[in-house]
Amino acid sequence: MRSRASSFFGVQQFGLVLIILLLGVVMTIKAPSHLDRVSGHVVNNFLNPSTLIQVATDTSFFAIMAVGMTMVIISAGIDLSIGSIYALAAVLMSMQLHQMPNASPVVQVLVGIALSCGIGLVSGLINGVMVCRLGVHPFIITLGTMWVFRGIAFVETHAMSILVPESLTHFAKANLGMRRDLYPVPMVVMLVVATVGALFLRSTTWGRRIFAVGGNIEAAKYSGLPINRILTSVYVFAGLSAGIAAFVGTSFYGSASSGDAQGYELYVIASAVVGGASLNGGKGSAVGAVLGALLIVMIRQAIRTLNLDQNYEWIIIGIAIVVSVVLDRWSTVQAERRLVRARQ
Amino acid sequence: MGFLSVRNLSKRFPGVQALAGVSVDIEQGSCHALMGENGAGKSTLGKILAGIYQPEEGEILFQDHVIHFQGPQDAVSVGISMVHQELLFAENMTVAENLCLGDMPRKGLWLDRKEMIRRATQWLESIGAAIDPQQILGELPISKQQLVQIAGGIGRGAKVLIFDEPTSSLSQAEALKLLDLIRDLKKKGLTCIYVSHRLEEIFAICDKVTVLRDGKLVDTVKIDGLSRDELVRMMIGRELAASLEEHATTKIGEELLRVENLASPGKFQPVSFTLHAGEILGLAGLVGAGRTEIVEALFGLDPDATGKMFVRGKQVSVRNPIEAMQRGFGLVPEDRKHHGLVLSMTAKENVSLPVLDKVATAGWIQNQRERSLAQVFFDRMRVKAPTIDSKSAGLSGGNQQKLVLAKWLAADTDVLLVDEPTRGVDVGAKAEIHNLIRGLANEGNGVLLVSSELPELLSLATRLIVMREGSMVGELPANPGEESVMRLMAGVQ
Repeated sequence: MRSRASSFFGVQQFGLVLIILLLGVVMTIKAPSHLDRVSGHVVNNFLNPSTLIQVATDTSFFAIMAVGMTMVIISAGIDLSIGSIYALAAVLMSMQLHQMPNASPVVQVLVGIALSCGIGLVSGLINGVMVCRLGVHPFIITLGTMWVFRGIAFVETHAMSILVPESLTHFAKANLGMRRDLYPVPMVVMLVVATVGALFLRSTTWGRRIFAVGGNIEAAKYSGLPINRILTSVYVFAGLSAGIAAFVGTSFYGSASSGDAQGYELYVIASAVVGGASLNGGKGSAVGAVLGALLIVMIRQAIRTLNLDQNYEWIIIGIAIVVSVVLDRWSTVQAERRLVRARQ
Repeated sequence: MGFLSVRNLSKRFPGVQALAGVSVDIEQGSCHALMGENGAGKSTLGKILAGIYQPEEGEILFQDHVIHFQGPQDAVSVGISMVHQELLFAENMTVAENLCLGDMPRKGLWLDRKEMIRRATQWLESIGAAIDPQQILGELPISKQQLVQIAGGIGRGAKVLIFDEPTSSLSQAEALKLLDLIRDLKKKGLTCIYVSHRLEEIFAICDKVTVLRDGKLVDTVKIDGLSRDELVRMMIGRELAASLEEHATTKIGEELLRVENLASPGKFQPVSFTLHAGEILGLAGLVGAGRTEIVEALFGLDPDATGKMFVRGKQVSVRNPIEAMQRGFGLVPEDRKHHGLVLSMTAKENVSLPVLDKVATAGWIQNQRERSLAQVFFDRMRVKAPTIDSKSAGLSGGNQQKLVLAKWLAADTDVLLVDEPTRGVDVGAKAEIHNLIRGLANEGNGVLLVSSELPELLSLATRLIVMREGSMVGELPANPGEESVMRLMAGVQ
């Protein structure tokens, strides 16, 4: 059982799943119950459809971007501008849709998706080309574009919030045949992005090459890999993931502003790292990134559900991130020792 | 009993006995050379004297006392300093700061900059080096950085200075200046130990020479009255017949590669040669002769390289490794950990890395195809690892090297460039790698082989090119004999 589960998730992801399940069980046992207004039944404060979907929705925006971020981190890079790309895509998409109020709902949704994803792609391409051509560490490049992209969003909107057409909200809040107060679309998008990302990293030549460049860029060069194209592509993927998250998030909440997703980059990096990505490169998993995002959201949920003092939220999340990465390092070292011992 | 002596010194590294029971006496005020082929143990002995390595057996006597060094700082404190081959400096700091690194002068809590500069100036002047102590060290040419190192050694009260291949990265003129300085230092009563394989330098400045071979002492003799021929023979030593191993009688086929005036400024002078199917062309030369640089230029890794290359008679450009692979080249690099393998990946993933497109359909890796391709070459190279899914980081040096070879076999190259294929590899794997290289040539591939091990080159190569200090100095047929190669390599008439 363990071996099959761990081969699907990888050893560390298996541990993450256990911790997340444990947290869920503890919350279910400890949480009080309340009367559900829609169904009329008494339900557990945590284990009920709307809370669970709410947790998935909160997770989805981080998790979608964490899949893109994982690719950047596997290549031994970093993208601090991912939250700003989200804001830029959200704002420019909303402003354009504002110009076309009479278009049909389907056209509005399609234009929204195309614009948001396109802006994400172009922003990512700018990051990627600069990282490759300028030879400056991606931390610095994306630190710069983090302010530039958000600044463009700020200037364009004059710091105002922009409403998106109702067609987009209807799309993002579709019930998909579930109860009318449940909104599973963000969760579905997250699952699709995670699956595509995981398959891409695991089973395509390009995914494998990203691992090789991050693991040892010199050996990758000596093996005839197109280093610059590979490195550029990971920032494009990260930008695209921000574009997707921006479309879903903006549609779901109904408006966009230049302050959207502020500080998300750090949550997103944390999710990827908790999910097993190594900042040294060569290691990481899309499924892990989603689980990492879920763990962070679950910790926040636990603080609310169990009526803990919310002032401690940041302290607890901070400790959880460091502990999970230290545990990961420790288990890697143990595995390497076993390997060396087996050889002797 | 000498001023500085070693008795029965032995040192092992994983897989090699670097020194075995070596005893040497060094007289005060003399310049003593340590000589030998690559891997003879001369640098190891120098580093033991400087406290960098600790011997397993034997003792060091200095001024009639037995001494034990825990580290280089112990050696410095009794007056033994080393001028390193690779310069170990904080290149971002000034000359003065570097000279005072271990012992910063202070005024209360604060650094005493004036004292630092005064001290550095004094030390530099004592060896007549015109260097501004306030200059950033990394901005100085190598030759001047070396002078800073020497000044630091003497300033800290060194009685013995150990030079490890000091001229290997210097120009001719700079080298001559350094030799003059060493002569001066000797006159001032300093004892110098000079590790080198350059005959001219040894004859120019040294009084005595200790020759090592395969970690063992051959002899210590006076330079006066010694002929160059005798010294070369001492260094080679082996029965010449021993290297005359059987050559597979391969058919030499069509011309695979022709190189005309390939050159790279500052690395090597124009070279021209051809490589035919079935040939193993050996590149001989001492460390720093430009062999690795030639191989890297052929594989498109040197953007400054100029010259013409013809593959099967057609002129081609090789501007990067991708183009090199398209022309049918493969490179087994010298540094397998940094250039050969992605250690975080499995054996299978490393083997398939250059040929992913071959095992993929529309960009999707076909698991079964990848596994069977990797397995074929994994088995053919007899890589000793539990499975092809083992992490390559956990494999021994020999098995990692086999994996690098497997990778290029899988890529089905016509021209394989092999740089030091058996460095740090155990004896068994070495023989297997040799057989594989012969087998590749037999199958009609061309192999360009760089090796610092002369016996390896002589037993494998069907033709030899000899390099010295960046220039091609000769081309020899198979089995030219060690002596003639060694003479060309070292520049002895």
